[in-house]
Amino acid sequence: MPVSTMQPDLSAVTATGGVRAAALARWQECGWPGPRVEAWRYTSLARLSDVDLSPATSLAGTASGPAATAATSIHAHVIRFENGVVDPAGMSGLPKGVVVSALDSDEAAMTRLAELAPEGNPVSDLSLAVMNGGIVIDVTGTVETPLMLAFEGDDAGASAHPAILVRLAADATCQIAEWHQSTVGLAAPLIGYDIAARARLEQVKVQAEGAATTHLAATGVALGEEASIAGFSLSTGGALARLETHVAIRGEGADCQLSAIYMGRGSQHQDITTFMDHAVANCTSNQIIRGVLDDSARGVYQGRVHVAPDAQKTDGQQMSRALLLSRKAEADAKPELEIYADDVVCAHGATVGELDATQMFYLTSRGIPYETARAMLIEAFLIDTIETIENETLAGLLRPVAEAWLAGKEAA
Amino acid sequence: MTALLEIRDLHASVGDKPILKGINLTINAGEVHAIMGPNGSGKSTMSYVLAGRDGYEVTGGDILMNGESLMEMEPDERARAGMFLAFQYPVELPGVGGMSFLRAAVNARRVEAGEEEIDQLGFVKIVREKARLLGISDDMLKRAVNVGFSGGEKKRYEILQMALLEPTMAVLDETDSGLDVDALRIVSEGVNLLRDPARAMLVITHYQRLLDHIVPDYVHILAGGKIRKSGGKDLALEVEESGYAGIDDAA
Repeated sequence: MPVSTMQPDLSAVTATGGVRAAALARWQECGWPGPRVEAWRYTSLARLSDVDLSPATSLAGTASGPAATAATSIHAHVIRFENGVVDPAGMSGLPKGVVVSALDSDEAAMTRLAELAPEGNPVSDLSLAVMNGGIVIDVTGTVETPLMLAFEGDDAGASAHPAILVRLAADATCQIAEWHQSTVGLAAPLIGYDIAARARLEQVKVQAEGAATTHLAATGVALGEEASIAGFSLSTGGALARLETHVAIRGEGADCQLSAIYMGRGSQHQDITTFMDHAVANCTSNQIIRGVLDDSARGVYQGRVHVAPDAQKTDGQQMSRALLLSRKAEADAKPELEIYADDVVCAHGATVGELDATQMFYLTSRGIPYETARAMLIEAFLIDTIETIENETLAGLLRPVAEAWLAGKEAA
Repeated sequence: MTALLEIRDLHASVGDKPILKGINLTINAGEVHAIMGPNGSGKSTMSYVLAGRDGYEVTGGDILMNGESLMEMEPDERARAGMFLAFQYPVELPGVGGMSFLRAAVNARRVEAGEEEIDQLGFVKIVREKARLLGISDDMLKRAVNVGFSGGEKKRYEILQMALLEPTMAVLDETDSGLDVDALRIVSEGVNLLRDPARAMLVITHYQRLLDHIVPDYVHILAGGKIRKSGGKDLALEVEESGYAGIDDAA
């Protein structure tokens, strides 16, 4: 099994023991998953085995990029990470109802983050072990001001390991935007969203990393009774990106909406992997995935839905559609339903298609240039997915990023 | 004077099957020509070949618009040069907003002509005015292109596009199909409003009834991939009475 040369000196972590030491031990034993690991069959991390990366230990102090502009546009409070290291500036002036504290001195929080972290994802262990200055965000009550978690940095030799535990107390509501746009070698954010009873999180993620960056995100979500999350990811950046999210549905009446759009061109590899774990009855989950792939880009959607024997009346839906713009592009979809309850409504569907030639002819016959017509049809393919986002403020963040991609530009 | 459209010994195939077998037709500015013919005579193929659709391969001859060959031009280039095809079966575009579609088309034409792009507000005004004449509601304009439109609404929407794009050469492919008497009247009135000394029209139809409303200057009978007979508007009435039986491939 290939193991990266990235083996930071973490004797201090081992010495303190606890969650981080255990994670480090697992990482050192397993390393990067090889091609025979089923969960990584479609996404090879071989490229990481040959590069020499090390976690940044301090802020470089570079100026904030497009994330700051985006944050301003939605009047968000920004907590910024640079090369994976948190910028303390974001700790002050927090909106009412939001408290931020250090993660690495909080063993209980660390334990919880480790529980939420996607099992079997190398980032879960690696980022726990090597993180530098992770944070805990506690939310109570209704927070009107959106929080923007901005992940930036331009150290191509760095691996970034921001670790964040977000805890929504019972009945809390908040909006969180994750904005990942860096040129680090490896961006490996580990984020846990722990959503207590009746709390609601509206979340969007923009993944617009640089062309050489590998983005491996491990996200864990836990939902309590009648808790809900409406999450949406737009993944356009990186040489290789995998957005892996595991959702533990643990309270009755919980609702999980988790949709994503990935867009790839050149030799980009875009992977969306989800695991929806329905442990209790009367919960709903819904995933809409759209992919657009040009040139020789490759897209992967793996969606596993597990319905435990007690999880009666589960409604679990997933639908993935990929649009191939080139003969060399490839999309793989692996939906998996594991249903052990007998009174459930679960469905999945996956399609892969091309642009409709008749529609293209209709548009161009009106004088609309070929490229414009193509962009109009791609936008049409994506639009109903973006329209599922109820929160207009957050949806507004995504449209310019998708449009920039369609126009062949980087997000700005 | 250069003809607006000149079709010279046009041969075209779909797949390996020859459909058009030597069409000759000259249309001058201001004229309305009708092409009639039985099913399978090559009428729709001709409309697609004029618009430049993929898969409709010209195997011989030439098409000139204002003296310039269309052969090397893509459908969008032909359209911006003044060609317009009103589709027999207008295409639904789910997710493509009607107004942004219409504006993209009009602005593509304007940019080509070196004019400024038209802004959204000014455009809405123009569209509403033209839509009203065709009985197209604001609600229809707001919907995705052709999605949820009835057959008649789709045809009216084609004529709206024609009115906005102001083509020099308009080809109307079976514009009467699927229309009831009232819709036929509305569509025909819309087309007649667009008759112009600088514009020519080619009206393709199976039935004579459309030509009661859009009265052509010339009528051509297409059968077996060739124009078998040409004449004035009375030729349409002749066909109405005796059918296409007398005009077969051997004619």
